Amino acid sequence: MPETRLLLKHSGDPEYRAIAGYMAEGGYVGLKKALTMERQAVIDEVKKSGLRGRGGAGFPTWMKWNSVPKEKTKPHYVLCNADEGEPGTFKDKELMENTPHLMIEGMIIGGYAIQAEVGYVYIRAEFMDCARAIKMAIDEAYENGFLGKNILGSGWDHDIYVHMGAGSYECGEENAMMRSLMGERGMPGLKFPHAPFPTIEGLWNLPTLINNVESFACVPHIVVNGGDWYAMIGASTKNSRGTKIFSVSGHVNKPGNYEIEFGMPLMELLELAGGMKGGELKACVPGGSSVPMINKEQCEKAIIGYEELVEVGTMVGSGGCIFLNEHTCIVTFIWRTTLFYARESCGKCTPCREGSGRLVAALARLRSGDDAQKTAALRDIDELVTVMRSASLCGLGQMAVSPATSALQDFRQAVGAPKGANT
Amino acid sequence: MDLIQLTEKEERPQAPKPGEVELRFSDRGVKELDYLLTHYPDRKSAMLPALWIAQREYGGNLPAEAVAEVAVRLGRSYAEVEGVATFYTMYHIRHAVGKHVIEVCTCIACALCGAYRIADYLKAKLGVDWGETTPDGTFTLEEVECLDACDRAPVLMVADEYIGPAAEKDVDTLIERLRNTEEPTTVRLADEVTQAQLHKTEQASAQD
Repeated sequence: MPETRLLLKHSGDPEYRAIAGYMAEGGYVGLKKALTMERQAVIDEVKKSGLRGRGGAGFPTWMKWNSVPKEKTKPHYVLCNADEGEPGTFKDKELMENTPHLMIEGMIIGGYAIQAEVGYVYIRAEFMDCARAIKMAIDEAYENGFLGKNILGSGWDHDIYVHMGAGSYECGEENAMMRSLMGERGMPGLKFPHAPFPTIEGLWNLPTLINNVESFACVPHIVVNGGDWYAMIGASTKNSRGTKIFSVSGHVNKPGNYEIEFGMPLMELLELAGGMKGGELKACVPGGSSVPMINKEQCEKAIIGYEELVEVGTMVGSGGCIFLNEHTCIVTFIWRTTLFYARESCGKCTPCREGSGRLVAALARLRSGDDAQKTAALRDIDELVTVMRSASLCGLGQMAVSPATSALQDFRQAVGAPKGANT
Repeated sequence: MDLIQLTEKEERPQAPKPGEVELRFSDRGVKELDYLLTHYPDRKSAMLPALWIAQREYGGNLPAEAVAEVAVRLGRSYAEVEGVATFYTMYHIRHAVGKHVIEVCTCIACALCGAYRIADYLKAKLGVDWGETTPDGTFTLEEVECLDACDRAPVLMVADEYIGPAAEKDVDTLIERLRNTEEPTTVRLADEVTQAQLHKTEQASAQD
């Protein structure tokens, strides 16, 4: 199966980055069409398309849009999550650098559908190339009347501002991102069901729609061609529709972004990326560092789709696909992955702040200790996994244990330790 | 238990006494901050952009005076601004940095592709360890987590520029180029970040 390039179709074309080139390829037709539609009709098209959030959780996009209050009594906001930080993922970077208008158009349509007056793009400060491209796209959109007052004579006003982060992985979590934008430390807060969804109480306690860059970039295509058309792509899967960009890295010959239709076997994605480099396939982390790792047998069975990947014990996540060859030490790899979480833990809740550091220490003992130490380390890991998974405040702490749990399934057998409760 | 040390030794700056805060932002910086304040419904939300302006105005670092100035300009307490600034790794408040900060990604994809080897080479070449600055104040070496350019692993970042896949000779070229760069790249990054957040009209007006 070849690539299905929908979002990345014009990625290599420098003309497409400027508004003239973008409009020559049908740009902003979606916005013009959306502005002639009822707001609910736009949301219904997104519903029909079956689009699910591309940032990691896979939450149906239309449900977010639909849950923003329809009767507007106070300001509404749109927030685009461009704080891509998941190790292994670099799709938003390419999207923003090469097709900035696609994302901006999607954001404006989203803003129209939920009656927002202001949209923010939260970009991590490392992504200066993206920030410059997005800033230029916003300026051009203003000059052409797609942003500002009375957009295309619709009587609706909308502004978009860029907000730069300053180096924090945790700010990719939506609660933390909102706090960071409001000028606080980027720490998460209580989430549904303990607190309302951001679409009810978000930025400054006002309704806020938060979507990933890739999700917004899909929207213009859905509005132009219709939700039914989009839902036909990837129709072989249970409940995953459209295309997904996978960022392939690690031991492959041609690392890069590959946009594929849902339903493709994982091994074909590996073929697209030029196959393995330096040895046979040993394991794969298909959706960014926080999804469970799968071994070679599981890779061979894996079909790319939200439900399909869960069947083999992993997730689509954000699409950062890392392939490891046979010479990789799995324990060292998970030690390094867990070290990432230990360093990026915001420190707000104890299970994650203390647990992640102790997990790294236990994995270090597993790497270099004798047999007795290894057995003790495995027991510690089991305990830490239970605590972190059940008691961490946000996804960072809950998912930080998944590399350890998934990879150690195989490792336990190798050292002859009993199978743990959690692995 | 062999717990690992996650943070480097920190030198905490002393807060200036109330009434001794000197406002040093340039006219351009003040105008830029005024425009950024119009982007948000309250003053506190301009905290991150204001800290970026301060980092530029104070030459690439955030000494106590810079934090105090941001606190005064936004009407917040010193402790609150310091608390925010210390959370983010790209604000240079935990320790002062040199003219050029070389950030080496050693996260998983880069680690798989030899980032630690490049890191060792850089450490030997500059004679410094993580978080340290060369005696002449030119280079600071920082270990960072995923820069999200895993297709170019191993990757280095200097200001707004990514270098990757980086081999030893790329490191040599980079160091040579930076030695001949007069303007501190730390200041340039802070300026670029600020400019990216302003609309074209606001930028033009602030530079008048």
